Amino acid sequence: MEHMLGKINLKSVYFWLIVLVFVLFPFVIDSRPMTILLTQIFIFAILAMSYDILLGYTGIVSFGHAMFFGFGAYATSVMLKNIDSSLTVFFLSIIVGMVIAGIVSFLIGLLTLRLQSHFFAMFTLAVSGLFLVLAEKWRSLTQGNDGFTFRAPEIFSDRINFYLFVLFCLVLVFLLLRLFVNSPFGKVLIAVKENETRTKALGYKTIYYKVVSSVDAGVAASLAGSLYVVSLRFVNTSMMAIDVTLNALLMTIIGGVGTLVGPIVGAAIIELAKHNLSILAKTYPIFERWIIFFGIIYILAVIFFPKGVVGTLKEKWEGRKMVRQQAMKQKEDAA
Amino acid sequence: MELLINLTINGLSTGMLIFLLASGLTLIFGLMHVLNFAHGGLFAWGAYAGVWFYSITSSFTVALIGAIIVGALLGFITERLIIRPVYGDVVPQILITLGFMLVISEMLKVVWGPNQIAATVPPALSGSWEIGDVLIIKYRLFIILMGFLVFGIFYYILKRTKIGLIVRAGVINNEMVQALGINIKRVFLLVFMTGAALAALGGALMAPYSGVIYAEMGMDFAILAFIVVVIGGMGSFPGSLFAAILVGLAGSYMAYYVPDLSLAVNMIIMVLVLIFRPQGLFAVKG
Amino acid sequence: MTILLEINDTHTYIEQYHILQGVSFQAKKGEVSVLLGRNGAGKTTTLRTIMGLNPASKGEIIFNGVDITKKPTYEIANMKIGYVPEDQAIFNGLTVEENLRVAMRKEDEAAMERQEYVLNLFPDLKKFWKKDGGYLSGGQKQMLAMARAFVNEAELLLIDEPSKGLAPIIVEKVMEALVEMKKETTIVLVEQNFYMASQIGDTYTLIDDGKTIQSGLMSELIHDNELQHRYLGIG
Repeated sequence: MEHMLGKINLKSVYFWLIVLVFVLFPFVIDSRPMTILLTQIFIFAILAMSYDILLGYTGIVSFGHAMFFGFGAYATSVMLKNIDSSLTVFFLSIIVGMVIAGIVSFLIGLLTLRLQSHFFAMFTLAVSGLFLVLAEKWRSLTQGNDGFTFRAPEIFSDRINFYLFVLFCLVLVFLLLRLFVNSPFGKVLIAVKENETRTKALGYKTIYYKVVSSVDAGVAASLAGSLYVVSLRFVNTSMMAIDVTLNALLMTIIGGVGTLVGPIVGAAIIELAKHNLSILAKTYPIFERWIIFFGIIYILAVIFFPKGVVGTLKEKWEGRKMVRQQAMKQKEDAA
Repeated sequence: MELLINLTINGLSTGMLIFLLASGLTLIFGLMHVLNFAHGGLFAWGAYAGVWFYSITSSFTVALIGAIIVGALLGFITERLIIRPVYGDVVPQILITLGFMLVISEMLKVVWGPNQIAATVPPALSGSWEIGDVLIIKYRLFIILMGFLVFGIFYYILKRTKIGLIVRAGVINNEMVQALGINIKRVFLLVFMTGAALAALGGALMAPYSGVIYAEMGMDFAILAFIVVVIGGMGSFPGSLFAAILVGLAGSYMAYYVPDLSLAVNMIIMVLVLIFRPQGLFAVKG
Repeated sequence: MTILLEINDTHTYIEQYHILQGVSFQAKKGEVSVLLGRNGAGKTTTLRTIMGLNPASKGEIIFNGVDITKKPTYEIANMKIGYVPEDQAIFNGLTVEENLRVAMRKEDEAAMERQEYVLNLFPDLKKFWKKDGGYLSGGQKQMLAMARAFVNEAELLLIDEPSKGLAPIIVEKVMEALVEMKKETTIVLVEQNFYMASQIGDTYTLIDDGKTIQSGLMSELIHDNELQHRYLGIG
């Protein structure tokens, strides 16, 4: 028991150390592009983690994550533009985006989550497609695909402030989601993923668990959208397009589903790769079609590498631990 | 009256294009529980192939046949490379077909460039007829006829031939069909290729109708097709025709009378179906 | 008599559950071998494993001297093995005629004669020839499922609880048909109804907790009250 406690503490010491490194990072390395890139990675890490709650912990596939991202994106940019660019309005807009995302994901979940998983995937794809068209048509509010620029709260004009705020959000979301998946509630979610019929037979109302999970994921995705538009000070309909969903999927799968840390690692890998590919594309135009590369990597990952980077490492690590424990036990037995 | 007829023709022709996409989707799902999210990509490939064949041969017949062949070949590749490795695993299957959708849509840009391409109606089908006060655009009527023709042919195959019977039985219970000595995977490959060919035909017919083609067109139409599959009932061939016409007509009327609702109307129909009849209007499995 | 089907120490998993943990038995040509055991003992899974629907992870299944353990279901069926599942698996929505046609490998004259012969075993089916299979009664469904398995020449029939849920008078009819079918083919029968099992069975195999307990002649089991009591809850 004591041994285990020590281990947990060690884990959290590592965790806070890593956080500290990232807090200090912009003060040590004074590189504006690097700060911006890291900010992007953090934002997408939030999005990918929210996706992991669905795919990795509840075992449901949503193709509508871009829609929730878009709710946050539009709530924040519209309010910052039309009311004022104060910090209060910014926080308020985050809440508005989350509420909209929460309501929509609740309704979608209620309607389709009791059906086969195909329905949810299809339904979310259709609904998010319709919301995308809505955003394109409602030009008076969104200015469609041209989009619009707006002013971010004054305090964020210093990139480092915004970087720190996003990092804070990432840590907060990570801790909350970890708390969520490690709670008794989260254990039921994993049981739903493993075998829904059996979980149902044990007397759990699985639909309730699935809906709560999908609302959680939607709300977190909306936060990512709010942060993303502030980082760009610009919004357009591409933020609701299917590419955003695919991004989240790719990051989650490459990083490792059902691990929460995986999506963060995945976000870093994908964003860095994109960043470098866009540099390469300047000399080799073929790299402008980076979706092809990512798409192929993604397909191969689904077939051959379903556990992702973190999942695979974890498996290796745990395998080694088991071997070690067995060896120790054998020694004890021998003694 | 004139208006009503024209709106109906518009709605029917859009409905038929959706039907060509949705009918394949519904049979593929019905037979093997595979929901092919790459289906819209096959539609877009059909459109590009059709325009390309037309531009080099100036024959619309060749263009349509070319599109069908390209669709069937792509269907073969998709089934072998994408569906089969994750066969029977629902989540990876959904994930992988969506990934493939993006790859093949992007490939269109590599082959034909990233910009929109104009498509023209062949001379024999361009223009319109004037019947009294009513102006009927020939090409739209042609699409409607093609839609009914395809429906008729496949309805006959499903109802009257042995392979059709096996497909219908497979949709109801694919395990039992195998236990009766039928290699369902081979049947499925055939159905998949046929579905892909129909989607490609739909794309090739769509191109002159809309006048331009672009790589993302597949996704837009696929969303309508998914709505149709939900409404019609997964696995039902007649259901997909009925629902496609319903969605096409509703969109056409609403766009004129209540434009603000035209988007929402498909959504509303789908939600109503999911609440009151989640198995779809023409449920196959009891 | 020659051995038609031989199952050696077969293990089968369904998902993570270890359902069959060593089932072995033999079916001799021309005989009716009955699988007996409590609910959940693994009888249905044994038949499904033979058909390749739940493939065995260990052990071997030899049919007519050919190892069919790893063969796909359709190939197994095409070796002239007919299968009547527990829930009959009638194609609801297809007519009685169509249900039979799905199974028929050919539709030539000989095949039609065969169909006629099979229909004479189940005369009720002719009455509902164009009726939707889903609307048949339980007994009619059972007969349709048996006819469907028998409409091609079969060397072996696997029949899963044909008497389940049927009225006694219908059970009689099913038994009559089975006796008739037995003249031509070998049958592996899963049956809970001990009266029926003892009437038409030649040999029995007792399965409990996924393992074979004992095999022997039906005539011996009829007199072994203790065994009946322990594993079948009779007497």
